[in-house]
Amino acid sequence: MRPTPGAFIRMGLLLLFAVILQVSAFSQMGLAGGHVDVVVLAVAATAYFAGSIPGSAAGFAAGFLLDLATGATMGASSLVLTAVGYGVGRFREVRDPSHGLLPVLVTAAATAGWVVSFAIVSFMLDVGATVSALVIRDMVITVILNSLLALPVFAGIRRLLRPALTTDPLELRRRRRAPQATGPLGLRGLEI
Amino acid sequence: MFDKKVVRRRRAALAGFVALSIALLTAYFGESGGGLFHTLQRGAQEALAPVETGTSRALKPMRDLFGWVGDTLDAKDENGELREEVRRLRSDLAQAQTAQRDAAQLSGLVDLARDEGFPSGTRPVTARVIARAPTVWYSSVKIDKGSDDGVRVDQPVIASEGLAGKVTSVTGGTAEVRLITDASSAVTAQVMPEGASGVVKPQVGNPGDLLLDLIERGRRVTEGTTVVTSGFTSSRVESLFPRGIPIGRVVDVDLEEVELYQRVHIRPFADLRRIDIVQVLTRKGSTAEAASLPEVAIP
Repeated sequence: MRPTPGAFIRMGLLLLFAVILQVSAFSQMGLAGGHVDVVVLAVAATAYFAGSIPGSAAGFAAGFLLDLATGATMGASSLVLTAVGYGVGRFREVRDPSHGLLPVLVTAAATAGWVVSFAIVSFMLDVGATVSALVIRDMVITVILNSLLALPVFAGIRRLLRPALTTDPLELRRRRRAPQATGPLGLRGLEI
Repeated sequence: MFDKKVVRRRRAALAGFVALSIALLTAYFGESGGGLFHTLQRGAQEALAPVETGTSRALKPMRDLFGWVGDTLDAKDENGELREEVRRLRSDLAQAQTAQRDAAQLSGLVDLARDEGFPSGTRPVTARVIARAPTVWYSSVKIDKGSDDGVRVDQPVIASEGLAGKVTSVTGGTAEVRLITDASSAVTAQVMPEGASGVVKPQVGNPGDLLLDLIERGRRVTEGTTVVTSGFTSSRVESLFPRGIPIGRVVDVDLEEVELYQRVHIRPFADLRRIDIVQVLTRKGSTAEAASLPEVAIP
């Protein structure tokens, strides 16, 4: 991702929009105890397309905005979402995966990491009450709901961030297909 | 090869954001309610409030849709729980209604035994109906008291409102009671206060209608009067049913059928289709004495 003012504005607006949507809509749309969490979706998608540094920056910013908007303990969400953004970005950089359904798995892993890590951080900080085992069910439902939304959200965020990205992920996939179709023949080292 | 500069930058970025987050956490916990970050939060919430309100309103239909889906799923769970509760409450209600019916019948039995006209010299043994004949042709019930409790063959049995039948067989712990609605039953009875005597017989298949037969022609019988067991004692025989046990109320006098005798329709006081508790009128005194009583006499 090119660190241009346009890129910052796009990412900032995206995260702000995600936080407002989350606070004023999705958090109130409970389904069997769980709900969609678009903030972590936005962070994961940004990290997936832009890499680990923009991912961790997006995670920090999203967490900061979320804590500001909800009045939660400042820094807790930032800490966890920074780690989530960094992790997704590094996965993309190291593995460079290209499967079309990968956003679903990435989202599932990122959401699971977010809800579990945030629960641990909350436990360590200031939760003194007894916690019901239903929390686990809610976490699982959130992971499933986010996974279901992953493909359209990732597609939308890719479209939004594409002008600021150094390489378009779709282009990478297209380029990768070509050598497979007309690649070298013969044994390794003796290609024709 | 990895570009060391890129790696360092990446690690530095991660470390910087993590350190910032921890610093935020520490500062937030360390400051008072009026501190920088708390104030910042309040300001942000105030600034975002109109946007959040607008968004919330705009997305209300979507929220409602989600709510409907969630409510439907919750309703399924709730439905299961409520069904279980209904099943439990039905069971409780059945128990309560059974207890209520038992209490009403026991109360009726007590009241009946206190009536002035009720035969003295008897010792009622209360018993519960434990079995019932399945056909209308054999109208009998089994009770949970037997010879061990002083119950003997041919002793009269009453239900909460009136005469129910007589004991036809006895074991140690149970007894068979033939009801007055059984096809073979016949009870000498008297219409009160007129005093006309006759024999009460059942109509098979219609336990709510008994016939008082063999009433002399010319004896006046009016609707609404009470029919009780007539009972009698002579030097040789004794009626099975002592005098004065209420049987039923006259509901219809069948004038068309009058020839030598009148036929009177009686509605029995005891609801013999739904009896649960009865009393066997055993003789007062020892069970040995009761056992020595004559077994059979005319009805």
